[in-house]
Amino acid sequence: MIPIRCLSCGKVVSGYYEEYKKRTEDGENPKDVLDDLGLNKYCCRRMIIAHVEVW
Amino acid sequence: MNIDIKTKDEQNIILIIEGVDVPFINALRRICMVEIPTMAVENVEIYKNDSRIFDEVLSHRLGLIPLKTDLDSITLREECDCEDHCTSCSVSLLLKETGPKVVYSGDLTSQDSKIVPVHDRIPLLKLRDGEEVELEAIAQLGIGLEHAKWQPTTTSAYMYYPVITIDSEKCEVCAKCADECPRGVLQFDEKENKIIVLDPEQCTMCKTCSKDCEPSAITVEGREDKFIFKIETDGSLSPEEVITTACDILAQKSDKILTFK
Repeated sequence: MIPIRCLSCGKVVSGYYEEYKKRTEDGENPKDVLDDLGLNKYCCRRMIIAHVEVW
Repeated sequence: MNIDIKTKDEQNIILIIEGVDVPFINALRRICMVEIPTMAVENVEIYKNDSRIFDEVLSHRLGLIPLKTDLDSITLREECDCEDHCTSCSVSLLLKETGPKVVYSGDLTSQDSKIVPVHDRIPLLKLRDGEEVELEAIAQLGIGLEHAKWQPTTTSAYMYYPVITIDSEKCEVCAKCADECPRGVLQFDEKENKIIVLDPEQCTMCKTCSKDCEPSAITVEGREDKFIFKIETDGSLSPEEVITTACDILAQKSDKILTFK
């Protein structure tokens, strides 16, 4: 499961992961989705793009 | 002191503060970060947990959920008369779910309608067919000095207000600086045949422009009495509440020093 908050800054990122995953699978550009979700800092962006859901 | 609000929304605020010094604004930054009370889950009583997630991991995830905080209606646990926790210093959040499903923060039912999770779609745990979870999470007020889950801000930072000066006598108008600037602060104006500064507030003072300037006509400096102050909250308090509460706390602390005997 994705960590609730960004490990570096503490912003809540887990609430956006499902939307990010759905929208990128539908063919949207990941950069545009992250900008739209308001994840502007690179620490928060890596939380989302580097996450692998294993169980 | 002069304060301008540059941008503001539900969780972010950018202020331009003029006429203060570094110790003052740094005190404000530190209070915003770690001394403003917010609500967070402190104790969890787990009655049943069949899922594959460990009790302590689940409790940790619950603790990190930001809760909307009403500072007037609840007291700090150190200042409360009760022994452990009572209704005036804590709020219970109940969770009872049966699988198969993913349990979200929105599934928590709070006993106080004002103190609820900021986000409803934070995944907490996954339940397989027939698995059950039942728990009571007790949220209390606390400060970030004790644990990071009580920090109201996720960004609390200031920088000097940048001042970019171009010496028109030395400048050869090669426009290298405008090409090099990664933030697009400088622009080559063909009509007037000179370099103009578009928006100094976008400058990060990386000094790439002055590095490449052979006649060293361009200088980038920070003003020591004017700051760009940025706050991003986790949603538990609004940025205005954070700043006003921080000012109150700073005033109380100053009073303590003045009246110290």
